[in-house]
Order: sequence, then structure tokens, then C-alpha cells
Amino acid sequence: MSFPNMLYGRVLKSPHAHARIKAMDVSGAEAMGAVTLTPEEVPDVTYCPRLVSIPSATYKDWKVLTDKPHYVGEAIGAVAAESEEEAQKALEAIEVDYEVLGASFDALESMKPGAEPIHDEIYLEDDLLKVENNVGCQLEITEGDPKALEDADVVIERTYRTNRRYHNQLETKSVMVRPEADGGISVWSTTQTIHNTRLLLHDIYGIPMGKIRVYKVALGGSFGSSIHVNPVVNVAVGLALKSRRPVKLSYTREEDIRDHCAYQMIFKLKLGAYKNGKLAGGRLEAYLDIGAHQIQAYPLLGCVVGWWVSLYKLPYKDYVGKAVYTNKVPSCAFRGYGNPQISWVVETMMDELAGKIGVDPLDFRLNNYIGEGDIFWGQGPSVKSIIQSCGVEEILTRGAEMVDWYNRPNPEEQTGRYRRGWGVGRGYHTSSAGAPVPSSIVDFGGAMLKMNEDGTFDYVSALMDHGCGTQDAHIKIVAEELCVTADMVNIIRADTGTTVYDVCTHASRGVYSGGGAALKVAMKVKEKIRDFAGKILDAYPHAVRIRYDEEREQAVVFAEGIEGREVTYREIAETARHKNWGTAAAVESYRQPSCPPHFTGYFVEVEVDTWTGKVKLLRVVAGADIGTVINPMLAAGQVHGGFAQGWSMTVLEDLPYDPDDGDLVNRGSVANYKVPTTMDMLDLDDLTVFFADTYEPTGPFGAKGIGEGALNPVAGTVANAIQNALGVRFFQLPITPIRILEALREKEG
Amino acid sequence: MTINKVNTHIVPIEFEYHAPGSLDEAVALLEKYGEDAKILAGGTDLIPHMKQRKTEPKHIVNIKKIPELACIEETPDGIKIGALAKLRAVELSPQIREKVPMLSEAAGSIGSVQIRNLGTIGGNICNASPSADMATALMALEATVHVYGKDGAKEYPIAEFFQGRSDVSLERGELLTGFTVPYPPEGAGSAFEKVGWTTFDIATVNVAAVLTLKGGKIDHCSIALGACSPAPIKVALAEEILKGKEPTDEVLEEAMEFVAACVEPRKRWRRAPPEYRRRSSQALAMDAVGRAVEQARRHQ
Repeated sequence: MSFPNMLYGRVLKSPHAHARIKAMDVSGAEAMGAVTLTPEEVPDVTYCPRLVSIPSATYKDWKVLTDKPHYVGEAIGAVAAESEEEAQKALEAIEVDYEVLGASFDALESMKPGAEPIHDEIYLEDDLLKVENNVGCQLEITEGDPKALEDADVVIERTYRTNRRYHNQLETKSVMVRPEADGGISVWSTTQTIHNTRLLLHDIYGIPMGKIRVYKVALGGSFGSSIHVNPVVNVAVGLALKSRRPVKLSYTREEDIRDHCAYQMIFKLKLGAYKNGKLAGGRLEAYLDIGAHQIQAYPLLGCVVGWWVSLYKLPYKDYVGKAVYTNKVPSCAFRGYGNPQISWVVETMMDELAGKIGVDPLDFRLNNYIGEGDIFWGQGPSVKSIIQSCGVEEILTRGAEMVDWYNRPNPEEQTGRYRRGWGVGRGYHTSSAGAPVPSSIVDFGGAMLKMNEDGTFDYVSALMDHGCGTQDAHIKIVAEELCVTADMVNIIRADTGTTVYDVCTHASRGVYSGGGAALKVAMKVKEKIRDFAGKILDAYPHAVRIRYDEEREQAVVFAEGIEGREVTYREIAETARHKNWGTAAAVESYRQPSCPPHFTGYFVEVEVDTWTGKVKLLRVVAGADIGTVINPMLAAGQVHGGFAQGWSMTVLEDLPYDPDDGDLVNRGSVANYKVPTTMDMLDLDDLTVFFADTYEPTGPFGAKGIGEGALNPVAGTVANAIQNALGVRFFQLPITPIRILEALREKEG
Repeated sequence: MTINKVNTHIVPIEFEYHAPGSLDEAVALLEKYGEDAKILAGGTDLIPHMKQRKTEPKHIVNIKKIPELACIEETPDGIKIGALAKLRAVELSPQIREKVPMLSEAAGSIGSVQIRNLGTIGGNICNASPSADMATALMALEATVHVYGKDGAKEYPIAEFFQGRSDVSLERGELLTGFTVPYPPEGAGSAFEKVGWTTFDIATVNVAAVLTLKGGKIDHCSIALGACSPAPIKVALAEEILKGKEPTDEVLEEAMEFVAACVEPRKRWRRAPPEYRRRSSQALAMDAVGRAVEQARRHQ
């Protein structure tokens, strides 16, 4: 994308993990003809880039450009010039004088007394908060009688550490901003939410909302990295307003990898079980390494406990979660939002517990899972609802049969170079953050639908599609309700000015919530069509029926059994225009009444080469309960992708830091950030996906989500398979060939 | 700290571009500009290095217009491969597949098809990365290197070409023009093995082996190891152990000890610690020798 007269922006990034800027000299860059932007030239607003929570649950510690950077890569200035090359040269001509401050790169170190304070003061809504021990926010929850855990026959307590992962989405964070003649701006950006982008830009720059138009842009992937408004957007707006010219700002991959990552977590988990195979209770301490800023740390603390307690029935549960600042890239949501991390821990320990009490790990799961009729609060303690559809049992029993689970190998019997193992793991994710009562999370959307004068339909929605086919699913839902083919429903390019509010495409809500809004407007429009048809046919609107006529390629409204009383959509639309009845159209907001979990389960077979430590995938069976499957191929595709991402999380990915200079060890090079290619994954013939036969009463046509549940159980499952092959458990991710050889040396010499 | 400078997207430096049509023209340019000039062949290393500002050449000498450099042909001394031959061409060449299949195997293990369609065998060698897969394969095959300079052509064994990490024995004004890969002895078996974190990845360790059997015993034997020292090396001690012996598990295991002993740890070895390289180099050498023996048995 480009505009005439457009400038190219580049961001000046802090080379220090923690520093104060004493002076910045931009004269060299300006002498080259570049437009520059310094911290003094942007509004002095402290904000939170993610506006999904209500204000009283939103912690703020960000600036558009800061004079006190807290991580290597934080934006401290910017330039815009006629070309990217010129902008780069101008960037290199800026001189900055820093006072370098102490820094911390580990959450546990960061909390110790005497550690350098990263933020002195932050805001919760508009209240100033003092940060103590670098803990940005915390949450404690206890339910049940602690005696339950004390009485348990077997108790295990362990510490686990997850990896730091980069989203590696297709396009780097990018934005185009065009200043408009009326003082407003138009914005095209990589975002998961156009309306929250507008909200934040309004908050920062004070431009009236109607004069900020944020346009939907096709994305190739995001995985949660643009639920918040990415820093480039706010910087580019500053450059465009100052230069009064369109500005394009696109991060390089090296900048992008220093812009966002998943939350690295340290868990101390204690779980107890009785000999009868029932869980007694547990205690979880969670330390979230949030990096240098809060994006959604507080709601995540709620979700981590929610994910934990909603997997299995725990009569007693005790939780302390702390979000800890470190001088690292700010962490944000990444497909699963903490669920893959905690599920790895829980599923690893469930296997270990089952072994201790002498129950098969699969039976142990069947004994304890949370299912239909149970209270569910996956999205945190403020989002509770009752589970109305559940395919857990079907997933586990059908999968077990397919892989002959009960005859899997015994790790103690294997001694050769290549050893094989099967693992099982289960999980779920919420579909949206809906509930019968309001919570601290905003979750509603909306849509508009109108019948055109030829009987086709235009569908307008603010909901972003990240390349997952979400809008495609909406079209199928609308078409199904209106009895027309999908090609008769058009998706209209839209922006904040032409759509009603939708919170964000996240939380696996695209089909369940967004599709719910689509269904609601389709039902309203159908009602109007019935009214019009009733007038034309001299029939009662509620009595007419609708069918699709393949010959005429039209939906036909008819009075059953009465010859000649039928009319096509096209005729209805034409008549409505000629007789001035108006347009059959509807615009609606929609809040879903529930937060149904979509359940998933995996069976994975691996082969470990004990000489090189390489783990090879042999076979995967994945079961998913997503209610009615709206688009089977795309849904299976979500499982394929979720599995690949989970596999990568388990065996490959990490972003270690170099404490000497505070930068990533890989120096931002994506070539040194390993993810599997298609050549590293197993053949799709060896990856079987099946869907459980369920129906979600609150979902559009019975549908639930799939996006995140497809990923969540994978790390636990693969880790359990590796354990089954080697008889070794790992408490740190990723499980690399190097770590495998080290562990084997320790075990076998 | 280079965070505001290094990336893989923008080349903000200015340079003069040359596209000589003959070897003599190319050599004259390289002689004239010396350190200021860089050779562009496939560009899979040079262009990223320029974006990363590891090199900021004032002159780029594109040698792709020199026709004779891309050849793959059979000669009495062996297969002649021009420095500009694409890795993909080396992988797919019917002559190479028939006469020195291990070289094709090694070429096919590099990066992705897209990278192999750009990258050249000469570039893979001249970049002198310790983990270059072509280097290890050519070492085991005991290839000859052809160099052209202002004094004309010269040639020497590939082992003498590597001067250490990122350093090759090319003088100012000299250009690598290609290789002659001698035909392995009649009935030879050969194999190439590597371990990396993904198929796309460069090698953490690679091993190449060529051998023949005589009366069930190993006769000719050549083993090369890459990514474990500043340049790929021949594992002479292991070769000696194997020669004249039946390749039993015990013999192989004994020989592999010498492979592991060749691992020469670097100060900053980020990809894998020495212990991992020792263990996996043994494993890969076992695999490579084992596969070569099987192949040689089939040829008997």
C-alpha cells in the first residue's frame, strides 16, 4: 500500500535495557531533510495499549515515545523521509546521550530486595500506584478447605519454567497514516481491533472519534500480537501529524522480534490426589515475566488461575499470581493466552500423579475433568458460566481406541538408540469472554446486513479476520439463515466509520461471538423479508416458508400448499423499492450469554534418537469438540496449525537474553529463531483430526470456537510422549536435543 | 550496539555495480578494488550481510555473466563443477547423482529449495563457514579447487583452501572458478549426515564418508567432519582405525571415539555446547559410515 507524497518512517530504539535519556540531538537527521519526532513532541499521556478490560482493571505504564526506556528496542524517537533508505540514514544520524541504569532479566531476580526499580509509578485507571518489588499487579484466590490437600494420599510439588516465544506472524507490525484536511486521520494498520485502535488514538491525540477512521486491512496472521495497539501505530500518527503528509511505518523483522512475545511463566505447582483416582486439591504460585510494560498482565493473572482450575475438579484450590516487570520486550497474548503454558504444567503433573497412584493417565483424566453442568470460569474469576456442551469423554475414548492407548510402550523396557513413546494431553479454551453478567472484560460485537435491490446481501462487520477464514464462517452463517448460497452474501470493506463496535478478534470469539452477531442480523433481515413477502403474497408473514431454488438461483418465499403464492428475493427487493417500503436491513450489537469451552485432546507418538537428542513425530490423533463444525476444512486447518505451533513451543522456541548488553541472544535475527517448516512436520496422512458430536445451545447453529484450544494441550502431550519414550520428565521448555542428551547422561551415564 | 542499524530489509549503503563478461575482466576488477570489492554469485550470504552491515562494499562484482563458471561436466579426472553452479543444480544433476551421489545428497540438505535455487557451490565454500555442508562433502571426496588470478589458473587440494573460520586462501585479485571432484574408487559407498534444529537450519554438526570394501574389510576410507572446528576437517585417525578391518559395531565404535575427539570447542559456541557436538558427531559418523558400508556391500 502506498499514497502519493508519502513519507517512510523509522523508529529510534533504545540500545539499553534501562536508561534515562540525558540529551537527544536530531540536527543531523534534520539536516538530511528528515522529519524527526522526540519524546517532548508527542502528547505526555500514560496509557495502556490494550483496551479490552474496563478502565478500573486497566494498568497504564506506556508512553508513545519515552525518555526512560525500559528494554532494548523501546521507541525513543522517530524519523520520516522520502525513502526507507533515507529514513535509515537519518536515524543513524541522531545522537543520544544516555545515563545507563541497572536492569533485570529474570522475574525471580527482579522481585528480590535491592533489585533496580523498573517503574516507580504507574496508573490504575487514573490513580497513581507505587510499584513495589517490580510486581506490576497481583491476584490471590482461595476456594475450598485446605484440609482436602492435607488428606491427599499422594502430593507432588514442582517448579516449572516456560519459554519466551515470538509470534512470528506473517507481516511485521506496520501502519499507514494519512492526515486529513478536516484535522482528522485515516489509519490502516496490522490490528485485531479497529475500534480499540480508534479509542486509543482518541485518548492519546485528542482527535474527535468521528475524525479518526481506522480501516480493516487483510492480515496474514497475528496470534494475539495485535490485540493491543502496536507501538508503531502511535508513533506513525505523531509523524503524520507533524509532517502533514501520509506516513508508512513498517517494522523490519529484527524490530518486530523485539516488539512483542509470549508471556514467559514460572510456576510452582502442588497437586494432591487420593488413591481412588480423584484429585484432592492444589496450590499454584505463578510468576509471569511480563517484560518492561503491562499490556494485559492483570486479566492474565485471572486467566491463569481460570485455565488451571477449569481443567480438572479441584475441591481445594489456592492461587497466588504475580506479574513481574523485567527489562525485556513487553509480553502480550499469544494464541492461548497463558493456557498452553499452564496446560503443559498441569498435563505433565497429571501424568506424574497418575503414575504415583497407579492409575492409567487417561483414566485419571476421565475421572477428574470438568464437563457438562459444571461451573466454568476459564476466562478468570469474573467470567463464570455453566458448561452446556462437552465432548471430553468422546475425544478421549475415541482417540484411545484409534491409537490402541492401553498397549503403549513401557519406558522401562526400552534401551536402544531409538525409543518410541505415546503421550496424551487434553485442554480447552473459552470461546469468547461472554457470561450472563458483566465482568471486567468487555466482550460484545455487532454487525450490519442489508438486502440489495437484486436480492443479494451486503454484510458489514468491524470484526477482523486474521487469515483464519472467520468472515468466511460469518458468510456461511448468514447464508444458512437466509436460505441463499454463500456467494450471494458480500463482505464489504469497512472501517470504524461504517461499522458498529466490535471489541476485538481474540479469545477464540470470531465464530462464536462474531458469528452470533451475524446470525442476529440475519434473523432480523429475514423477518423483514417475511413481512414484505407477506404483503406481496397476501399471506401471514409468520406462516410463509423459504427455500432455495437452484434453477432460478434465488431464494423463494412461498405459502405452502397454495399454488402460485411464491416470490423470489429479487422480486421482493424490487417490489420494496418500487412501493417505497424501504430496505430490508438490520444493524445490531450482540453480547453472547455464555463462555463455552471448546475441548481438545491429543494423542502423539514420537521417536527419540538418544544419540542426537532429536525427537521425531510419528503419529498424531487430535480430537476437538467445537460444537457444530461450520467449515470442516478450515477447522481442521486450525488444528494442524495449532499442533505445529505447540510442537514448536515444546521442542524449539525460546528467546534468551544476553545479560551483558540486555539484548536478545539472537540479536533479532529470525534465522536464529527456529520454528518448524512444513518439512519438519509430519505428513498430514499421519495427523488425524476428528470432531466430537456436540451442539452448543448458545452458539450460532450450535458452534463454538477452535483457534486456541487447538494449541493448548500440545506441549503437555508431546512432553508426556517424550517421557513415555525415555522415562525422563522435563520441567523447562523447550525440550531441546541438547537438554535431552544432558538428561539422558544424568540418567544413564 | 547495532539495534538501530542492523536489519534484513534495508540496504542504505551506496556501491558501484560491475558485471564483467569474462574471467580476465573479473580478475582485473578484483585486483583493482581489493578489499573494497565483494563478489556477487548467488547472493544468499552477501545480500543479508550487506543489510546486516557486516560488510559495506564500495564495489559489487557480479560474476554471473561469466558463462563458463556454471558448468557441471564429466572429465577424465572427475566431475568438474563451476563455482556458479546452483546448489539445486548440484542436487539434481544426473551426472553428480550417478558418479558422486553423496555430493548431491549434501547439496539437497541445504536450506530450502528457494535458497538452493539462488545459492552457489562456490559461494558456500568461499563464505568459509565451519558448518558449510558442501565443504564437508568436498573434503571427504578430496576435491581439487580451481582458482584464477592475474597470473592465470592454479589448483590445489580443497583441504588447503580453508584457512580457518571465514577465511580462505584467495589472494587479492583471485577468483574461485570451480572444483574437480575425483570419481570415488569402483564400488565405493558414501553418505552425508547432518543435524540441525530444523530442516531449514544450518548444520550443528555434519559428517561425510566415502569408503570401499575389499573382502568384507574397509579398504579406501575418507571421513570429514564439519561445524566442530574453525574449518571442516578430515578425521584421519578414525580412517586409519577403520582401514583393513571388518566394519563391526565394535570397530565402528572405536573409530567414533576419534571423531568425537576432533571437536574443538570455541569460546562462544551458542548453538550447542562441546558435549553435544561430541555425542552427535559420533552418532552422525556412525550413521554415515554405516550407510556407506551398506551401499558398498550392495555394489559388490
